[in-house]
Amino acid sequence: MKNLIHITFAILVVSSTAQAACFVDYKAKRDDPLQLHYGVAEIIGTCLLEDALVELTPRLAAEDWQLLNILSVFNDDGLGKRLVNAGENYLRY
Amino acid sequence: MQAKITSAIETRQTGNKVVVSGIVAIVVILTTVAILLFSNLPDANIFNAHVEQLFVENASLTGQAEIKLLEILAQSGTAFSATLDSYRFVIFVLLVFATALLIASVMFLVTLITMNRWMGKIERKGIEVNSLLISREQNMVYLNDFEFKLTDAAIETLSVLAEARMDNEVLSGAEIEGVISGRPSSDCEEAAGATRIKRLRDTLGNQMISELLVRNIARRGYMLAIDKDVIRIV
Repeated sequence: MKNLIHITFAILVVSSTAQAACFVDYKAKRDDPLQLHYGVAEIIGTCLLEDALVELTPRLAAEDWQLLNILSVFNDDGLGKRLVNAGENYLRY
Repeated sequence: MQAKITSAIETRQTGNKVVVSGIVAIVVILTTVAILLFSNLPDANIFNAHVEQLFVENASLTGQAEIKLLEILAQSGTAFSATLDSYRFVIFVLLVFATALLIASVMFLVTLITMNRWMGKIERKGIEVNSLLISREQNMVYLNDFEFKLTDAAIETLSVLAEARMDNEVLSGAEIEGVISGRPSSDCEEAAGATRIKRLRDTLGNQMISELLVRNIARRGYMLAIDKDVIRIV
């Protein structure tokens, strides 16, 4: 019984973290010569467009990418259809 | 007479000022034009900016192939901007040429104007003696291009005056008579020298006037040797 509670709790925790998983797809660029990229990134903080912008900008800047805009915020369901377009930039930064 | 000389110098000075300010104006104008041209030429980054704008504004442009195409587009724009740089250089060279030509033309213009003024002055003055050649053997005097035949006495007087002029001397009538006759000038009369001068003036003046103004046409008569358009009777 005690074991069951533990398992249920574990499942609850796992599912709650899975639901909270937050992703964005964004557009970024590099200058000289101009390079563009479309990518998908996971957001650890709150799942809001403004917060995602604040969080993602320094992460991309570390790799010399300049964030142009964030297209949308989505959860696990949206990952699959963006995999092809994001290519190597899928969850890269 | 004094006032005229002063005004002539002033005209020259103001003329110089005009020339200098004109050249400065040309240089300033062309420099401004050059700066404007160079600053208004499209920047190399304008292509990249446009491509970037396209990328951001079209949310559907997310495919990898599409993004690659956009990058190529931006690169071709950058290549074109390299061409623009060479254009810039050509424009600069042309501007330098234009400056040089404009300065040269201003100089020529000024030279022409001064030459014209000078010619006008010479025309008004009538005759300006550039050369005086006295030939004692032939009793001839050459004034510029005119040749005048004088009597022995007149040539003698003219020679004495010419020699005195070369030494920057002024001779009185008595001194002239003294030099020509070979006697000390204290023994000579002022009037004798004056007479010689008068004779010289008469013969030389007559011939000059006949050459320059009153022409004698053989067996026909006399005519003023000037253009009829320049005559005005007040």
